Amino acid sequence: MRGAKSAKWVVGAIVVAMAATACGGSDSKDSGGKGAVFRLGITEPKSIDPVNAQESEGTLVARQLFVGLYDVNVDGTLNAKLAESAKPNDAGDEWTFQIKKDTKFSNGEAVNAEAFIRGWTRVTAKASASDVAYHMNGIAGYKELNGGSSDKFSGLTAEGDYTLKVKLSAPDFEFDKKTAHPAFSPVPKVAGAGDNKSFNDAPIGNGPFKMSGSWEHNKKITLVRNDDYGLAKAKLDKVELSILNPANGVTLEYKGFESGQFDWARMPVPQMPGAKAKYDPQGQWLKADVSGVNYISPFNESGPMKSADARKAISYAIDRAEIAKGVFQGLQEPATALLPPSFKDVYKADVCTSCVKQDKGKAKEYAEKAGLKPGDTLDFGYNTGAGHEEWVQAVAKQVEDVLGLKVKLNGLPFKEALARQQDKGTIGIWRQAWTADYPTADNFFSPLLSTSGINPDANGKALGDNRGRYSNPKFDELLVKARQTKDAAERAKIYNEAEKLAIDEDQGVIPTWKRTQYRLVNSKKFSNIKLDFFEDPNLAEIGVK
Amino acid sequence: MGKYVIRRIGQMVIVLFGATLILFACLFVLPGDPVGSLGGDKARDPAVVEQLRERYGLDKPLAVQYGNYVTNLVKGDLGEDYTQRRQVTEVLGPKLGNTAKLAVAAILIDVVLGVLAGLVAALFRYSFWDVLVTLLTTLAIGFPSFVIGMILQSQFAVNLGWFPLISDGSFNSMIMPAFTLAIIDAALVARLMRGTMLEVLRADYVKTAIAKGLPRRTVLLKHVMRNSIIPVVTYIGISFGGLLGGALITEAIFNWDGMGYALVTAIQQGNNPIIVGVVTYGVAVFVLLNLLVDLLYAVLDPRIRLS
Repeated sequence: MRGAKSAKWVVGAIVVAMAATACGGSDSKDSGGKGAVFRLGITEPKSIDPVNAQESEGTLVARQLFVGLYDVNVDGTLNAKLAESAKPNDAGDEWTFQIKKDTKFSNGEAVNAEAFIRGWTRVTAKASASDVAYHMNGIAGYKELNGGSSDKFSGLTAEGDYTLKVKLSAPDFEFDKKTAHPAFSPVPKVAGAGDNKSFNDAPIGNGPFKMSGSWEHNKKITLVRNDDYGLAKAKLDKVELSILNPANGVTLEYKGFESGQFDWARMPVPQMPGAKAKYDPQGQWLKADVSGVNYISPFNESGPMKSADARKAISYAIDRAEIAKGVFQGLQEPATALLPPSFKDVYKADVCTSCVKQDKGKAKEYAEKAGLKPGDTLDFGYNTGAGHEEWVQAVAKQVEDVLGLKVKLNGLPFKEALARQQDKGTIGIWRQAWTADYPTADNFFSPLLSTSGINPDANGKALGDNRGRYSNPKFDELLVKARQTKDAAERAKIYNEAEKLAIDEDQGVIPTWKRTQYRLVNSKKFSNIKLDFFEDPNLAEIGVK
Repeated sequence: MGKYVIRRIGQMVIVLFGATLILFACLFVLPGDPVGSLGGDKARDPAVVEQLRERYGLDKPLAVQYGNYVTNLVKGDLGEDYTQRRQVTEVLGPKLGNTAKLAVAAILIDVVLGVLAGLVAALFRYSFWDVLVTLLTTLAIGFPSFVIGMILQSQFAVNLGWFPLISDGSFNSMIMPAFTLAIIDAALVARLMRGTMLEVLRADYVKTAIAKGLPRRTVLLKHVMRNSIIPVVTYIGISFGGLLGGALITEAIFNWDGMGYALVTAIQQGNNPIIVGVVTYGVAVFVLLNLLVDLLYAVLDPRIRLS
């Protein structure tokens, strides 16, 4: 009798196991021969709906599904999409956009001025609690809508079907550039409120691609060409985005490219030299200087980095070229300005004099002026797990060797690192990086260096992106002046002046490396593969060989 | 028996609350704003942070937060995650299923490989097969599982292309991660099986059974196997719980969308509702499995009484 019972257990266990494992067994694979399918790996986005699309993965998808007034070319210039014209008034606080007629969403709804107002209102509404709402904060009525005291965006009006009027709360002659962010996409009526789950997972847009099915969380997002797209149609039939886990995603992308599963891949930094040797000769290696910068943020308010001389001493002590060659194996290049070179109109190399070349003599001279003595302690913070350890140690070693300081490395997990950076009492230096949201110099200077970018709360915690708390009223004035300047060349000059002041004279932050990106691309099967301004593949323009 | 089960389930509830309470307290003590850091490198708009704190009740004291959590937990509601703002049950449901699939597959491989190898080694003690099993199990135990995983991956997925590199939940893509998970445990099961078998083989009742003239097959199946398997069942029960809770590295290597992967991501992001959710599920599963193992004892050995 006992035997019979235990046999039942065994049989039961096997049945359970079969039931649990069998369901995935018959998955049919796409043959791949039917059309041009471009495959790549991403990590799970926070959102693919423009209402909250923010990090690179989410905006990559959102920008395939939606097209707004403008896109950005690789060189940072604006690329008009649905905007036929954009005119500011003389004061620069009111913009009139003419919208291209007769384009539609993939469900047939018209894309008109109302669709834009709907989209921008949806992002800003309080109930959406959107992380990207702040991109709208220059528009009149933002506070009321975001704060919940209104459900209309008072600054937005439609004049006729295809004219959008935008009233700003302060002059901004670069407002048109900001609308390149996916948050400024138009949405159809079916989008509903910001937390409309079915739309969030399968947005209906007006872009070069549309969703094929819903977002399969942690597994896959499939896009197919939108044949009703109102502008130049995509050549790819389908884009398959496999969702990889963040712990191992880059390695999987690289292995996936090697095994032929992906047509586009990032790679782990240590593998880069090997990958370059193998894939560069085959034309499958892509290098691009992108719109970001790596820098060190000194805490300007208190502690050893309080004086500009002290900050210059640190900057002169760093041998950027040596670290670029050694630690980064020549794959990164020193930055000598805060703006990246892709901001063609404004960029000037060598703005940061102390960044151009290591100068031990000058470093010591400035240290002495600042009262930095050998043996003094310098805290150097960074977030762990993101591959910064090696270069941070190299910088620390150089600073120790040149100035005799004791550099104390504080590696912290991201959440704790952020808390420490925001803390009022924090001193020393911190590693930072910044990537552009839109192609305006203001998008670097204002959050990173303006006094309003500190954005302290009641306890003095810096909630903004100006973590080093650099503040100079003259710099703030220059930014306001630039925003109010209509002429682009004139504006560029003011930005140059501002950058010179903050980065060279005051050394408010210490630029370290430009942001250079590398990708492996399947150029055997596809043509015209590029890295776009937002560091994503230019899916809508990729050709098929 | 019924009473025993009820008492055990009561204990389980207490353990569950204890575990979540400790976790809640820990998460509260950690520095950093639970929602403020979710914006990545760029600062999160303070207005949004305020909106989210209100939405998730983070502006309330810990005791109130925990009270709300428990009230909702009883209703089967684990709350909403901080990044995608989806229900935790909806996020973790498929992951629990995926991890269970993988764990069951791994356990099956464990049992088949481990028990067979142990059996052969014990029955043919000091033979070539015994030496081979000892050698292979030593090797398997010596290798960390992530090394095994990466070797399997680069050989069978990248070089030979037999299995998909990126797991998609299909049967084919489960084989490599299941083997990776199983191999070390299978080696331990083999060792355990061999040891207890040898002991049982020397026991008086086995000698008696043989002396009575029972067929060798009957002796092996009814007496030897049955009595040797109890420690193995205990071990497998425990390791199954471990597999469900902690296949972190294997899931990451093979991109298996399970609980381990969810936990790693959630910890990186500071996504507390997911962390608490994974632990809640983990504790529940672990306690249930322990109960199951204890019940299984009584089936395997009638002398063990549950009361």
